[in-house]
Amino acid sequence: MFKAIVGHSTDVDSEDAIAEILDHCQSQLGNQLPQAGLLFAAMNFDYPLIVKRIQTTFPDIQLIGCTTDGEMSSVQGFQEDSIHLTLFCSDTVTIHAGLGQTLSDDAQAAANQAIDSLKLNNLQAIKLCLVLPDGLADGTEVALRQLQSKLPPNTPIIGGLAGDQYQFQKTLQFYQGEVVHNGLPILVFCGDSLKLSHGVASGWHPLSRTAIVTKANREIVHEIDHQPAVQFFQEYTGQQPIYGEYPLAVFEKDSDQFYLRASNQWDLDTNSIHFMGEVPEQAKVQITYATHDQIITAAKSSIQQAVDNYPGQQPAVAFLISCAARRWILGVRAQEEYALGKQFLDPALPIMGFYAYGEIAPLKMQGQSFYHQETLVTLLLGVD
Amino acid sequence: MTEVPPKEKELTEQLKSLDKENRKLKKTLARQERNLERLHQSRQMSESLLSRAVQEAQQSEQALQLRSQELEKALNDVRAIQSRLLTADKMSALGVLVAGVAHEINNPVSFIYGNLEYAQQYMEDLLTLVSVYQTCYPKPNPEVKDCMDGIELEFLKDDLPKVMSSMRMGAKRIKEIVLSLRTFSRTDEAEYKQIDLHTGLESTLVILGHRLKASADNAEIQVTKSYGELPQVACYAGQINQVFMNILSNAIDALKEAKIEEPKIDIATHCDNHRATITIADNGPGIPANIQEKIFDPFFSTKPVGKGTGLGMALSYQIIVEKHHGQLLYDAAGPGATFIIHLPLK
Ligand SMILES: Nc1ncnc2c1ncn2[C@@H]1O[C@H](COP(=O)(O)OP(=O)(O)OP(=O)(O)O)[C@@H](O)[C@H]1O
Ligand SMILES: [Mg+2]
Repeated sequence: MFKAIVGHSTDVDSEDAIAEILDHCQSQLGNQLPQAGLLFAAMNFDYPLIVKRIQTTFPDIQLIGCTTDGEMSSVQGFQEDSIHLTLFCSDTVTIHAGLGQTLSDDAQAAANQAIDSLKLNNLQAIKLCLVLPDGLADGTEVALRQLQSKLPPNTPIIGGLAGDQYQFQKTLQFYQGEVVHNGLPILVFCGDSLKLSHGVASGWHPLSRTAIVTKANREIVHEIDHQPAVQFFQEYTGQQPIYGEYPLAVFEKDSDQFYLRASNQWDLDTNSIHFMGEVPEQAKVQITYATHDQIITAAKSSIQQAVDNYPGQQPAVAFLISCAARRWILGVRAQEEYALGKQFLDPALPIMGFYAYGEIAPLKMQGQSFYHQETLVTLLLGVD
Repeated sequence: MTEVPPKEKELTEQLKSLDKENRKLKKTLARQERNLERLHQSRQMSESLLSRAVQEAQQSEQALQLRSQELEKALNDVRAIQSRLLTADKMSALGVLVAGVAHEINNPVSFIYGNLEYAQQYMEDLLTLVSVYQTCYPKPNPEVKDCMDGIELEFLKDDLPKVMSSMRMGAKRIKEIVLSLRTFSRTDEAEYKQIDLHTGLESTLVILGHRLKASADNAEIQVTKSYGELPQVACYAGQINQVFMNILSNAIDALKEAKIEEPKIDIATHCDNHRATITIADNGPGIPANIQEKIFDPFFSTKPVGKGTGLGMALSYQIIVEKHHGQLLYDAAGPGATFIIHLPLK
């Protein structure tokens, strides 16, 4: 048995909102006790109070969560000022929460700390690792590589980076009763009965001329085609500050496969751009662009991949992790992403999801996990 | 604790929900405002990005067009070279033929020229004999007298030496032309050897002789030569003659085209310790400054299509500079065109 129960409230009052969610969940749980929970919350809520309420209601719960750029669930659909909580119950799958701190100072240490805090003797039983890193701290990729090396080979690491409603000031992470920032909360699922599949797609297409990154240091790109990086962008986007919706396509060596790197920060003194992920020197890059239809079509393909690859009969829950830039560009059409989920999935299937500052998933099943931008990641979980 | 009256409780509830509604609306409004501003900026960016992309697409289309024009021109050039090579091929076949014919003619002409000496001698002897007879027999018998009158002996005595000398001149000219043809169309052109540059210049002039003569439109071109002392120079004779030919024909073309009243070509040679210098100057219109640097480019020609291929100077440059490590210069100082060839002695 593996069951997910979703509670979702649009109440602006923290106290009332969490009370509504817990009521709803408890009525669904009957006499079962949840093992773990995932909490997603919009900005301007009283987070310490919310996690405290959850802890007092379910003292043994393994809880992680984060602030978001938008929330979605099968209870309330797509929302922008809401809180939702998903509870997991199972008698065959065990779930454990962990937290790594000060991610941007030493990402490797943060990853080690997250694994250690699971207090597991046998890491080999881990089948899936969910992560919700701080969305404004560098180091996610380093942490991912470290997690991947500690977990059993080919364990999928899936998740998204915490958001702050497109303000890019501060994002928060939740772990048990704690509210932190610059953190790396993880939730691992153990047990052979766990079945899962996932899909990834973006919809962005290269548009500018092809250029070469001539000077870069991890997330910071100094020069493109021997020009200041900012100048390369401004050639196309004018004097406007760079936004996440025009990411760089970074091409894998000599291939037409690319991944996307978005940025919200550029330094006008040094004319360099700070991307939300590493951009290797000598990489071929192009500025990309997406229309609404392309984004929606990609959402379909992400969900379809997950459905097609699900190894069992009936997943118990769908987890959608979409990029904040998608929500932002889609505007009123943002709810179509969630609507597509409903359309392609069993109407009775619980759905949870959030808009993130970066998505994490392997490109293909059994593959190594990557840090994406501008994508929709679909995860299906179950035991049947 | 006092019971809150139901009415009041209901009011508080209502107030609370109104307050929530208010907070919710405020949040939504704030977000919408932020979104609107961002949307505006994003739209500007979109426009700028798209217009730039369209511009790039147009540019690359233009570049493609340009490229295809270039390719078309290159194709035409290749065709021209091909036909030029074909002509060159024919020319070299013709050269072999001319050399062969010249050789065949050379032998009989040599007999004629060589035997003319004897014929002259014999004729003079015979004329002497006739005079001796006339002195010894001042009154010839009627039969002899008739014959003398019949052959107009006095006229014959006077004219025969002239005929002989003109025959000798003609034969000499044939010999010269044949020799020039052989020199010019040297079938040994692939061979690198010591030659006398003056001989090459002379034979080229002989071949161009008919173009130097006066015609209905043009006066005869005066060629003045001031040859200095030149040692033999090691080179490919056939190729060097080709260069003289190209430069001299260009000069003749220019003089005729401009209908110069007293057309002149000056050829001067001299030598210092390490190189031989040949200067060929005409008193034509010269070459305008803006095209001086182009005349050595392949296919550069100011002549009408069909007349000039624009390869003459390019090939000459190649022969002098690349094959012989010399220099081929245009000297802009004079009123007409002056070309200077430097050839290293070693
Ligand atoms: N003596 C000269 N006086 C004036 N212009 C000259 C003279 N010599 C060369 N030129 C210019 O240089 C150009 C190039 O000469 P070149 O011999 O390379 O080509 P061409 O004579 O036009 O054609 P061709 O391939 O038949 O020789 C000529 O078209 C002419 O404009
Ligand atoms: Mg010429």
